[in-house]
Amino acid sequence: MSTDARIDGYAKALFEVARAEGTLDEVEDELFRFARSYESSDTLRNALTDEAIPAGKRQAIVEDLLGDKATATTTQLVSMVVGSGRGRDLPAIVDRLVARASSSKNLSVAEVRSAVALTDDQQTRLAAALANATGKQVNLKVIVDPSIIGGLVATVDDVVIDGSVRTRVDQLKARL
Amino acid sequence: MNLLTVFAADGHDIDPARSVHWLWPADAELIYGTISSLIIFGLLYKFAGPMVVKAFKARTDRIQDDLDSSAAAQAEATAEAAQIRQAAGDIDAERQRLFADADAQAEALLAEGRGRLEAEIAELRSRADADIALAGSRVGDELRADIARLSNAATERALAAGVVDAATQQDLIESFIQRVGAAAQ
Repeated sequence: MSTDARIDGYAKALFEVARAEGTLDEVEDELFRFARSYESSDTLRNALTDEAIPAGKRQAIVEDLLGDKATATTTQLVSMVVGSGRGRDLPAIVDRLVARASSSKNLSVAEVRSAVALTDDQQTRLAAALANATGKQVNLKVIVDPSIIGGLVATVDDVVIDGSVRTRVDQLKARL
Repeated sequence: MNLLTVFAADGHDIDPARSVHWLWPADAELIYGTISSLIIFGLLYKFAGPMVVKAFKARTDRIQDDLDSSAAAQAEATAEAAQIRQAAGDIDAERQRLFADADAQAEALLAEGRGRLEAEIAELRSRADADIALAGSRVGDELRADIARLSNAATERALAAGVVDAATQQDLIESFIQRVGAAAQ
């Protein structure tokens, strides 16, 4: 089985479990946040992908991290992926799961990076604005990313709308 | 009767063997002398005349030959003079041609030298302009690089110091939402 097919298989399994549990939206959102944290933290990534660390210990790390911050379903699903030695594929599996969940609701995934957390009101208005701009109903996923300094970067399918301070600073540097 | 006879008849003895006058010969002598002279002249005319005529003719021919030779020599000399004059003319023309060629070559060399000199001057000027432009560009580049480096450093320092405060963050987010919302598909 190819890696791509395996990732699809895991994503489908996680999707079916979350839907069967009736916590698809919540689980999807928690998995998405965890995947982004996993991507941005070298320490976490190394700990969950180190083959020298026993699977049980890696799962224990996941449970320590998510135990009181995520639903039991989310914790169990991440623990299962890490325990099976697929921690390296976790972000891709989660992205496929999010895409599958959005597709099941006829939504497009809108990944939004912000230097600070957005309020619920801002997320609602941003989702409406992106829907207006792209012509698609969106499943908004917000990632807090201080590296963009300020503003927002929104990605809907293959459309990127960049309003970050980092990009403007980079453009200014390039002009200089 | 002649004058001598008259003198002799005047009473003097006349010796027929002697002349009656110191200048005038005796008659017989005169007769014989005249006859002898006529004979001699006749013989001369008969025998020496043709020789003289022949000699004169030969001399005339020789003189004529000399005259002809002189005429031929003169014609030849005239022809040679004409040739010499023509040659002199040719030499003059050749001299003129050589002078013209020399002038043309000198002019060509001068023009070539002038052209080469102008080209070298233009090249030197162009090189100097390029050097000046390069130096100016290098200074400009260095200046721009310094400005960019200082600006980048200042920007990074400002960002590190948290220039984007909470209010600005909210303004940026609201601005983004409004801009995206206004950009209908």
